[in-house]
Amino acid sequence: MRIPFLAATLTIASIASIPLFSQSAGFTGDISSKPPPPVKAGPAPRTPDGKPDMSGLWARPYVPDMTKSNKDQSQIGMPELPFTEAGLKEWKSYDAANGDYTGTCLPFGLMRSMNSPDPIQIMQSPKYVALLYEQNTWFHIIPVDKPHHDNWSPTWFGDSVGHWDGDSFVVDTVNFNGRTRLDTIGHPHSDALHVIERFTRTDSLHMAYEVTIDDPKTFTKPWTNKRIFTLRTDWEIMEYSCEENNKDFYEGHIKAPPPPK
Amino acid sequence: MRSTLAIVVAGAGLLIAAFPLAAHHSFAAEFDATKPVTLQGAVTKLDWMNPHIWIYLDTKDDSGTVAHWQCEGGPPNTLSRNGWSKDSLKVGDQATIEGFRSKDGTNTCNARSVKLPSGKNVFAGSAEDGAPKRPAQ
Repeated sequence: MRIPFLAATLTIASIASIPLFSQSAGFTGDISSKPPPPVKAGPAPRTPDGKPDMSGLWARPYVPDMTKSNKDQSQIGMPELPFTEAGLKEWKSYDAANGDYTGTCLPFGLMRSMNSPDPIQIMQSPKYVALLYEQNTWFHIIPVDKPHHDNWSPTWFGDSVGHWDGDSFVVDTVNFNGRTRLDTIGHPHSDALHVIERFTRTDSLHMAYEVTIDDPKTFTKPWTNKRIFTLRTDWEIMEYSCEENNKDFYEGHIKAPPPPK
Repeated sequence: MRSTLAIVVAGAGLLIAAFPLAAHHSFAAEFDATKPVTLQGAVTKLDWMNPHIWIYLDTKDDSGTVAHWQCEGGPPNTLSRNGWSKDSLKVGDQATIEGFRSKDGTNTCNARSVKLPSGKNVFAGSAEDGAPKRPAQ
């Protein structure tokens, strides 16, 4: 097909001046630019058993690259990842154009789901905490005060157990299948990944989230990200079917990921 | 209104670093950050579906030759929280899309912003790496 064009070569500076979006009535730009209703934060609510109540729909910073931080400090990344030789080799050889597994709607896995831009709903009981991800309508259940399962097959989201450490809910996850990436840009991990997450509801509107990535095959030492989640009482979780119109893949604009090793 | 198509090619990788966008897959899996594109034309269809909305646009060059384009935006959920709806673009609306071309050379783009018939220039919430530049190799 002939492509008609008015071609121009611009400098980066002039391109950067193109308004990608402007705020106007009804349209407010990106997800983080539309603030929650002004409500004064109160103390963190508690469940009848006295634990901090994490229930609610939470907006989170989108973290496509866990080495990066946000200016507003809602995400504090790890600037230099302590790669092992094998981890660095894996990272340098990765090219999303050769197949980003999420493009075919395969499960994002735990970390890429936690890094996704869409909100999560948390539901909590004394025995279980459930994370309901709007991203592709996935869920992940965390049993409280239970040991990890014996002899379960490795999975995309891993095997999680949680316990209360004072007012923080700590989630320990192992037994990953090693087929996911940590973030959108594609930082790697192996099947030896061990994730420790710490959820602390700091007040009625906010949750502090800290995640430690421990993977001795990929990194020489554990490293962390710290984030702030914001309660959105004005939102409800919505259905998100990745498969219903995945034109990118159906029409061959993106490649399928390599088959499992 | 005369429809035009402008293709702007520049080393624009830095452009997309600063915007927190909604992602289904990596930008780099499909699109080329060095190939920005500006499309102006008539909307022929809007797919208001997950995981990305798709806007179909017919552009016309000076000789009247029509080109059919399709551009993906963010997921309907995210866009609806930001004021979009399935009725934001109607068949026949004149719109301007700024985005990036797909790597496969088809008339496919990743929409970064859409100028609506009202003149509003709105964010389209499309896929994003977060940082197109990889660490030093």
